Amino acid sequence: MKLHRKSVLSLFHGHRTQAPDQEGILLKKGTRNTTYQRRWFVLRGNLLFYLEHKADHTPLGLILLENCQVEPHLKAAEPYAFTIQTPGVEGTRGRTYKLAAENQEELEAWLCALARVSWRRLAALLPALEAQYQELCQAAGQEPSSPPEDSGFLAALAAPSHFQELHERIGKEIRVLRAVPRGLQEASDNAGSSSQTKLEQKFDQCLLMTD
Amino acid sequence: MRYNEKELRALSRQPAEMAAELGMRGPKKGSVVKRRLVKLVVNFLFYFRTDEAEPLGALLLERCRVSQEEPSAFSISFLEDPERKYHFECCGQEQCQAWVEALRRASYEYMRKSLIFYRNEIQKMTGKDPLEQFGISEEARFQLTGTPVDGWSCIGSRLDALD
Repeated sequence: MKLHRKSVLSLFHGHRTQAPDQEGILLKKGTRNTTYQRRWFVLRGNLLFYLEHKADHTPLGLILLENCQVEPHLKAAEPYAFTIQTPGVEGTRGRTYKLAAENQEELEAWLCALARVSWRRLAALLPALEAQYQELCQAAGQEPSSPPEDSGFLAALAAPSHFQELHERIGKEIRVLRAVPRGLQEASDNAGSSSQTKLEQKFDQCLLMTD
Repeated sequence: MRYNEKELRALSRQPAEMAAELGMRGPKKGSVVKRRLVKLVVNFLFYFRTDEAEPLGALLLERCRVSQEEPSAFSISFLEDPERKYHFECCGQEQCQAWVEALRRASYEYMRKSLIFYRNEIQKMTGKDPLEQFGISEEARFQLTGTPVDGWSCIGSRLDALD
């Protein structure tokens, strides 16, 4: 079966404009060489990529996470170990990936991130929220709007990359500047010395909301 | 790039969001239209020879553009290589529009963005976080700031009720 590489790399390279769900060093036990090897892992949606080095352009491999089981591996010799069990064909067991984090904090972060990656769960949630939003709009006599299109993709189609980056950066700056009056208002509402940090958080929120 | 073929094959046998026999033409110049069984499973598009059980290939539907080319034909292209288009021919306009809509909504990234958008809008209108009723308001991937949350709290989510 041919897995079209460019479609997969499309997602992987999305990290230029969008932070992954989780990334970091994990130790991965090989199949032929059964020692644990240090790899850089990147989680995007229901796909887990691993690279030899963080800066590599192409991943070494990928793990499909839909319908998989993630569990801490308490009996492993390696500390902070966990397993990803992928489903096989016709109800048979697929592959068991043996991984280990470098410390307890990382282990917990990864277990948490991997626990709810399922596409199907997300797909189950969305109609409920969409319906709630449309009901609220109807009650308020408001025209419902749609989620924003992926502007990064459209820009890439239209212009060479350096222009696209400039376009996105300026666009972001404009949106942040527009959001500043809101941010300042809310920061001053939260009186006290923490208002500065809250304002910074607000900036970050605004930046990320526009992606 | 390594991947486990069994994982992909197992996925291709999962219940499909949509499946139909369509005309399919690859992106290479001079490629011809072939009848294929096209099956949408989560964010993957599998295609089979009409009489075979194993898929010929799979496309990951992330960071891609689905365009209606003609009343009953659409194309898919990827951010990684936007000039190369995969073409699909449907029986009619209705089928075509249904596929275009389904393929656009299949992207994980699209769903997450939509979810964050609706969550944000509902919160603005009601002052309440709609994800709280599902017990997942703290999940990292639905945060606007994208910061991971502490360890175990999100594991015991009430979302299990949806299984």
